[in-house]
Amino acid sequence: MVRLTIDNQTVEAEEGWTILDAASKIGIHIPTLCYHESLSPGGSCRLCVVEITANGTSDLIAACTYPVEAGLEVRTNSERVVKARKLAIEMLLAQRPHSARLWESARELGIDQPGFTLKEQECILCGLCVRTCREIVNVGAISFIAQGIDRDIGEPSIEVSPVKCIGCDSCAYICPTDAITVDDVGDTRILTTPSGKLEFKLKKCYTCGKYWAPEKQLDYIIKKAGLVSNVFDNCPDCRD
Amino acid sequence: MGGVIFSTWAGKVVDNRSLHPDEYASAGDLRLPLQYNGHRVTAFMSWNGLVVADDKVDVVDMAHTYLKEVQKLSCGECSVGYLGIKIMLGILARIVKRKGNEGDIELLRWLGVGVKENAKCDFCPSAITPVLDSLNYYREEYTKPVASRKKRAKSTYMTRVTAPCMEACPAHQDVPGYIELIRNRRYKEAVELIRQTNCLPQITGRACVAFCEANCTRNDVDSPVAIRALKRFAADYEMDGGSAPAVEKTKAVKPRVAIIGAGPAGLAAGYNLALIGYKVTIFDEQSSAGGMALVGIPAYRLPRDILERESDIIRRLGVKIKLNTKLSRDITLEQLSAEGFKAIFIATGAHLGREFDIENWRQGYAGLADGVEFLRDVNLGKKIAAKDRVIIVGGGNVAIDCARTCLRLGFKEVTIVYRRSRVEMPGRKDEVEAAEEEGVKIHFLATPVKVLTKGDKVIGAECIRMELGEPDASGRRRPIPVKGSEFVLPADMIISAIGEAPDLSFLTEGEPIETTEQGTIRVAPLSYQTSQMGVFSGGDCVTGPATLIEAIAAGNRAARSIDQYLTSGKIAPSEEDTKQRLTHDVGLWRQRTGGVIARRARQSPRQLPPSGRALSFDEVESCLTAEAAVKEAERCLRCYRVMLLAVASES
Repeated sequence: MVRLTIDNQTVEAEEGWTILDAASKIGIHIPTLCYHESLSPGGSCRLCVVEITANGTSDLIAACTYPVEAGLEVRTNSERVVKARKLAIEMLLAQRPHSARLWESARELGIDQPGFTLKEQECILCGLCVRTCREIVNVGAISFIAQGIDRDIGEPSIEVSPVKCIGCDSCAYICPTDAITVDDVGDTRILTTPSGKLEFKLKKCYTCGKYWAPEKQLDYIIKKAGLVSNVFDNCPDCRD
Repeated sequence: MGGVIFSTWAGKVVDNRSLHPDEYASAGDLRLPLQYNGHRVTAFMSWNGLVVADDKVDVVDMAHTYLKEVQKLSCGECSVGYLGIKIMLGILARIVKRKGNEGDIELLRWLGVGVKENAKCDFCPSAITPVLDSLNYYREEYTKPVASRKKRAKSTYMTRVTAPCMEACPAHQDVPGYIELIRNRRYKEAVELIRQTNCLPQITGRACVAFCEANCTRNDVDSPVAIRALKRFAADYEMDGGSAPAVEKTKAVKPRVAIIGAGPAGLAAGYNLALIGYKVTIFDEQSSAGGMALVGIPAYRLPRDILERESDIIRRLGVKIKLNTKLSRDITLEQLSAEGFKAIFIATGAHLGREFDIENWRQGYAGLADGVEFLRDVNLGKKIAAKDRVIIVGGGNVAIDCARTCLRLGFKEVTIVYRRSRVEMPGRKDEVEAAEEEGVKIHFLATPVKVLTKGDKVIGAECIRMELGEPDASGRRRPIPVKGSEFVLPADMIISAIGEAPDLSFLTEGEPIETTEQGTIRVAPLSYQTSQMGVFSGGDCVTGPATLIEAIAAGNRAARSIDQYLTSGKIAPSEEDTKQRLTHDVGLWRQRTGGVIARRARQSPRQLPPSGRALSFDEVESCLTAEAAVKEAERCLRCYRVMLLAVASES
């Protein structure tokens, strides 16, 4: 057990917890955007920033990634924290002003107009899709293009591998800013991503004739789970 | 850099702007470059502050240029760092064009502080520092009307990007770059990036001394990033996945180059020359390639198939490796020239044990051996009968390798005798620990003075205890014998591992290749040219016994020199060399303390348990799993340092 204080309340946290975990245990709400309880934390949106004091120095850190430490004093609502959060959401809004999800966070933080503008870009690089594809779907088709010396890639972005992607659309589901969208047209699924459009052939149900899931995704499941090859001939509605 | 007019370097503010040059306060011991290619450096901007040495410097333009360079390395994986810098650049661009708005400075400062306080890694927060300094101390420059700024002569800028780990590495590998690729599961790209400066990633991923880790910023937080293990992971992943390395055979249209020695220096030179189209032949006296990596590093640290694979990759580029061919015995430098080799690179290493000067040594007693010879014999497959007790003299990696090899050969009691204490021991710390775990005993502060014999056999060593006096030339405290403290260590064998030297017996009388007093080949610094035109040399035969990565770096550089020599007949330091020398002394650690960094446990590769592993030559350390490698890569703080120099147009 690790004992720390959050907003002057003492918390008993388990070893390995993050500050966000500890705060949620005692019902303290910390705003998040790139966090999801089923995924590893990304620390990328910086909305969950809190102020910590340890050994006399204080600093801002991300609550979703910082591990609990004995004796830590955490403040989730200091002036410094509030300012940093406002700036972070304003930056995100400048990049992607047409996102209901971002506006929801902005209003929560008391922002009704960002102080600056940028050329709109749908993807805010929060990494939710990257982590979902890796950790939930277990495919790992999406990754960041890494920056580096003499690797100037212009705008950093995510890249969806057409080879690895199975067309399951989990990324479109999790994306908070509609940077990845899915559209099923006739026998084709079209996945629109920051690195281009991907098309997948959809499987037709033997019984009702409806196109219901990408063939590549079904093949992936059959192979992974060791199922018989005709298990998905019928759509879920027509299966006995 | 002339008189410093203004500086915030390392957080110390020196402001001489309103003073006469005679009254300038000193900026302390700034170790910043003064000259670049014969031109005066007028200002310097980097993670540790802003330094101005000429009042004509346009600080605003400089901040804009600097931040553009910073943006190229801002990864985008945290919104505040990446977007903050992007928005700041937009504002700076309009200020530079004199189209700034009221309140722009406040906006810039607000954004800058936001980046400094709330970005995710160490890069953006440290990189933004000099820009914030310029906003705080050169405010009037940002608000000046157009007319007054137009008079300024535009500066020429020079940029260099490095990092503490990169700077410590003799080959200046882009460590944060390949770690970031591993973190993003781009393993193939990671190993390709490594090969740009290090053609032996599997060998160095196992046996490098890792200067980078000693200089890692995490040393101040918890423990260094496991850089060597990460390199091995990327390289082994490529091999285990069965994919061939992305090295393309080039059409060899350029002249023939001969390389003597297929060790790390020779292989690196051959690799780089072949990549740019030279016809390369490497000659080596042994029956396999690898040099000291083959004959000096035991298989439990570096399996033989790994050596084979990496030299094969170089062969695949078209490099011919002629084995069992010894310089002076089978070929001569003259012959090589006559055969049409237009340049020669001598990389013969340091394979001679240093003379051990104690009583009864070299008197023909059975049971005395030299460390490098002993390892060479074992590593080349010679059968050596194990005895009961062996003493190994020395504290370097050769001594440790001998000791652990002896255990594996079946020696029952293995004792290292080292004249200094544990802290001065030059051997790799983890190797020393591994040896002790396996049962090697170490006698610190002692040295043999006499070999004890019976008949023609060795029965032990008379040793004397030492104490440490004043530091010697190496900076380590000098060991001094303690009078009357002699004691006897019984042994059937004594191995001397007190140092190695190059064997330069191939340089015959009258050879125009000069040597040094230390018995090494003399070369011009940076160019690796010997006193004979067209003959270059590098690696241990130039430096004396050093490390794999120093040899690889020498091979890389020698290849560049040889190319210059064969292309233009002249050798000049490359721009990168000039920049490296310029910025080497700056000092890259965090002098201006950044934010709190969360401690995260270092991921260590699995090791064979000490109890059984000393019975075989099986590799002791395994590769990190992909999961552990990614976790370890996430510990990297990305301490890239962007340096921008403003250079005066006049000399």
